[in-house]
Amino acid sequence: MKRILIVDDAATVRLFNRQILEAAGYRVDEAVNGIEALEKALQAPYDLYLVDVNMPMQDGFSFLRQLRAQAIAQAPAVMITTEAGEQDRRQAWAAGANYYLTKPIKPDVLLHLVRLLTGGAA
Amino acid sequence: MALIRSTGIASLAVSQSDDLQALATRLQQGTPGERREAARALAILPQTSALLACQLEEEAERSVLEALVTGLAERADETAVLALLDCLRSEDAALRNDAIEALKVAGRHHPVLIQEALADSDSDMRILAIGILESLKHPDVELWLIDLIEHDPHLNVCACAVDLLCEVGTERAFHALELCRVRFPDEAYLGFAISLALTRLQGADGL
Repeated sequence: MKRILIVDDAATVRLFNRQILEAAGYRVDEAVNGIEALEKALQAPYDLYLVDVNMPMQDGFSFLRQLRAQAIAQAPAVMITTEAGEQDRRQAWAAGANYYLTKPIKPDVLLHLVRLLTGGAA
Repeated sequence: MALIRSTGIASLAVSQSDDLQALATRLQQGTPGERREAARALAILPQTSALLACQLEEEAERSVLEALVTGLAERADETAVLALLDCLRSEDAALRNDAIEALKVAGRHHPVLIQEALADSDSDMRILAIGILESLKHPDVELWLIDLIEHDPHLNVCACAVDLLCEVGTERAFHALELCRVRFPDEAYLGFAISLALTRLQGADGL
């Protein structure tokens, strides 16, 4: 079973995405900021990371840059944000994101993207 | 005695003025380490918010930016809070996040400025301003959120407001939550968040 880490400070967003992904057969963990996410990723790397940009303690870009510096954590990552600014997109690619998704998240789009980036079904 | 005291005060005033000028020069022209130290030193002096705010617009060094934001949070006057709110428009995500954390405390002294940010023409600004509200501890936060979900045209602004109402709302928000669902009928996430908020608020009222 493929494992996905949702990194977002908004509890409702985490619950929404978790329900969609678990219903599709994925195993989901959560982190409320980049620091907690990095700890979890280093303990047991995931197959995919869904990362919010704006979070307290450590933003999504910083988390992803630190994650990409670890040899064991090269799985795909999707940056999720409410902003659609070109600068944010550039920062996402520079930090090592594989895709950039703008809120609101559509369940069918999320699942399609997750399947695409993890190489098929859960 | 009076003469001695007067002379002492005058000397102190001259000394502080000299220090202020030296610190301002170091803040603008020093090495990153000197600029960082100058920002910290200026933050404990009165009426230095404008200096710190000006440097914030020019500064590129991460550690100095952090010191400037921390300094403005310590000053927490109107100039400081306006400068911190301006950081929310930055393309630098780390600076935005630092400013949000600073405004959670500094904003408590200036709720009107935060309320104005909730009415900003930029939807991203409104979304980030919502992130400050939970820590603001202002009695009208729920009413501000209700106003947003009743009138704001931007879906993500409403979604963020609903998320926070889920935490801080009461039965006063019920009607506005239902209206918001009607305004955005085909949005899966918003529908989910509104249902969750209604369930939680009903549960909270039942306690």
